[in-house]
Amino acid sequence: MAAPDNNTPNDDYEPVEGLDQQTVACVRACESEAAAKTASDYEHIVWAYGVIWSLFAIYGVFLWRRASRQAVEIADLQQRLSS
Amino acid sequence: MKKILPLAFLGAAALIFPVSVKTIFLDTPIEKQMGTVQKIFYFHVPLAWIMMLLAVVCGVAAGIQLRRDSKRAEAISIAAAELVLVTGLGVLITGPIWGHATWGKPWTWDARQVSTGLLWLVFAAYVLVRHYGAAGSERLAAGLAIFGAIDVPVIYYAVKVWKTTHPSNDVAGSLPSSMWAALWPALIALLLTSLALLIIRVRQELTDVTLDEAWIALDDAGAQPAPVSGDA
Repeated sequence: MAAPDNNTPNDDYEPVEGLDQQTVACVRACESEAAAKTASDYEHIVWAYGVIWSLFAIYGVFLWRRASRQAVEIADLQQRLSS
Repeated sequence: MKKILPLAFLGAAALIFPVSVKTIFLDTPIEKQMGTVQKIFYFHVPLAWIMMLLAVVCGVAAGIQLRRDSKRAEAISIAAAELVLVTGLGVLITGPIWGHATWGKPWTWDARQVSTGLLWLVFAAYVLVRHYGAAGSERLAAGLAIFGAIDVPVIYYAVKVWKTTHPSNDVAGSLPSSMWAALWPALIALLLTSLALLIIRVRQELTDVTLDEAWIALDDAGAQPAPVSGDA
């Protein structure tokens, strides 16, 4: 099979210009660093938001348990009053 | 109506929270210096404001309790102090998470961090004294709450008076409108949640007082000798 002739006037092939190996490597390194930073940032954000809403949820459960105890005490008191 | 109020607040917060997250992550630009991690700001800062507000509410209520012996003020003071612990712990955990990503160190012992830590410890002491203190310790606890409230301006002015790694107080004022648009829903969602929990806790405390009085009255009635019938 013959190699394509770059000098043929109607050939669609156009050589890529301006992206030498060094530039490509540099761009990829920057992209990789940015992706790692964004991933780390999101990890921090998930932890921060998770902590905040977990604390509120834990306090909510504490209040709910307290309300349940009070309901039992009120029922006990009503029973004592009616007997 | 009174019973519905906290549920209405929680319901509204549940509706606003997704809007807030959507605004923060999809509509707000990424901050140039800190990058994506700056988005912690939208919950960390409102939580700190709410913590300081509740500390002041607790201190004022404790002052009223000392002066007028008001049960309602006492209940508000206890509820607000517990929520200062919840919100304060949130601030003290999310701050170092943000600091770890931005400053490379979670804790730098800067004045704002230390004064916030002190505030949390004072209110932890308040809650412990209220829970385990002997009769009469509520006055000591009220004094602690007032001391804690005085720490609030110290936290606010810490970045002005001392050299700190925290940004200055002017940051909030200089925010672009797109960032304010994300800050408001987060603040409202957190504020409504805190208010709902505060109202529920105040009611529980008042119910406890009523129950205690009812038990004492019942015991007193049971201890009294049976009324003598007849004209003898």
